[in-house]
Amino acid sequence: MHNKLMTMQEAVAAYTWDGMTYCHGAAFPVGSDSVAFGKEMVKQGRKDLNVICHCGSSQVNLLAAVGAVRRVEVGFSGLEVYGFANGLNRAVTSGQTIIEDYSNGAMAFRFFGGAMNWPFVPATVNICNDQQWCSGDEPQVYPATAKIPTITDPFTGQTLGAFRSLRPEVAAIHVTMADIHGNAIMLGSEWSRFEMSRAAEKVVLVADKIVDTDCMRQYPNLVRIIAEVVDAVVYWPLCSWPQASCGLYDSDEEHMFYMNKAMKTAEDTEDYCRKWVRSYETPEQYLDLIGHEKIAKISATETAFLMDPYRKWIKSDAQVAELLDRAKG
Amino acid sequence: MEYTKQEFMAIVTGREIKDGQLIILGVGLSMLAGYFAHLNHAPDLRPFTEGGVYGSTPVGGLPWGIECNRISANATSFTNAIDALGFLVASGRCDNAVIGAAQVDKFGNVNTTGIWEEPPWKLGKYVPPRVRLNGSGGANDIAVGAKSYLIMASHEKRRFIEKVDYISSPGYLDGGDARERCGFVGGGPSAIISTLGILRPDPDTKEFFLDAYFPSTNVEEVKASTGWDLKVSPDIKMVPEPTEQELANLRTVDTTGSLRKKG
Repeated sequence: MHNKLMTMQEAVAAYTWDGMTYCHGAAFPVGSDSVAFGKEMVKQGRKDLNVICHCGSSQVNLLAAVGAVRRVEVGFSGLEVYGFANGLNRAVTSGQTIIEDYSNGAMAFRFFGGAMNWPFVPATVNICNDQQWCSGDEPQVYPATAKIPTITDPFTGQTLGAFRSLRPEVAAIHVTMADIHGNAIMLGSEWSRFEMSRAAEKVVLVADKIVDTDCMRQYPNLVRIIAEVVDAVVYWPLCSWPQASCGLYDSDEEHMFYMNKAMKTAEDTEDYCRKWVRSYETPEQYLDLIGHEKIAKISATETAFLMDPYRKWIKSDAQVAELLDRAKG
Repeated sequence: MEYTKQEFMAIVTGREIKDGQLIILGVGLSMLAGYFAHLNHAPDLRPFTEGGVYGSTPVGGLPWGIECNRISANATSFTNAIDALGFLVASGRCDNAVIGAAQVDKFGNVNTTGIWEEPPWKLGKYVPPRVRLNGSGGANDIAVGAKSYLIMASHEKRRFIEKVDYISSPGYLDGGDARERCGFVGGGPSAIISTLGILRPDPDTKEFFLDAYFPSTNVEEVKASTGWDLKVSPDIKMVPEPTEQELANLRTVDTTGSLRKKG
């Protein structure tokens, strides 16, 4: 199995394009998400995106705030205790971004359907209410009939909703640790990363840590994302920042509020991007920008003990650099 | 004894939660009510989140999100959304839940999706909302699948309305046996706990009536703060004030006082 390490810049250049159907995950509002990948998409000027995310997060908030999102499908679009996602909401209320609403459960079922290569998934959620009848894709039709058509259970006669399965073109999935082949262990709640990794046509892992494959051999039950479905692995420490990564760092409360406030207007969003998105190239520069005092503070997390079993397999930055060179071969 | 409306609402919601229940909790007030109950009178409560965090109690204050490290620090299991919202909720295994509402109507239908100048059901077409909220999240799945659930909302006329702008999470729809006709697994909302009182559904019509009011208010004020002609129980009660022990237990969960600041 080959070494799939590549730089963030290379991964975004190779696996994203204008007009694509892009899925980011875990897509938590406050926890694990491939936020740094989304920032690189902003830097590379991606636009006209069809974004699928389980729950909105700082990533889709930023992508929508810069005007890169044509359409988004979500189960939840806010930032939990940090408030409504100002950038996404600005894009939605102005009509710039079409939002197609489902529930979190429906999104999970739809990823499962995509992973199984089923055309649709039957369920009783989201029916008999406006999630079934209002459609961002069909704004002229109410009640919408094409969004969640009803079907009849051939065994019992019960009415069910038929949900279109999700097959994103590319998913950029945050993981706590991955090996160079794309086997990954996630700490914390998984949301839909397992199904998402099987549903997407291409999968890029964005990992906080790179570990030796021996780590996977020690904990094979915990390896929920497998090399067989992964196309590329990016090493990017604190890749979920300002959101949290279980076992490694807490959400940066101050920056979460600051970033979301900036997303309220196009001017402040541009100012934010100048300071916090376009001002670094390497992981080292990124960490310097966040600030080592801040990093020490958020890394003193109550969940740090969860990393203890894995520490001996973590590759140093120098080792990862060497592996990256070898991957370029 | 000093306490805020939000704190009282959380305590009253917590009182509705029974020991031993398998309960799904969201962030903020929902989690506060649930973990208050756990600490106060329901030691064998089995709380979990829709992201699949089981068996934990928060550390360091109320979590910022349901995947925050404050809720992940002492979990007994991490799974995922299809497990929590599918295998446990959609399957009908979940006993109880607490959801929030930006708008709620007389049949317990909840809107957390958006506010429109003219609601889509009036316009006969869908247009972007004037105010975008969060979407349903897992609340729709809970509203459809949980055996019963509780709704929490600030009691204001603009929130307690005749018919919500958008049904994100179905309560009893247009009343009567509407839920049964939709084939929902779960039983529907058992109560709406507001900042002024407790509303419960009529067993037949499913229209919510005022069952009890808080000591800080009276029946007339509750009716005046409600956007439909609120019916009142013939044996209307006053909700008992929080005890010192209840308040202490609540604040053991909300150590940072995030909800005390909200008034």
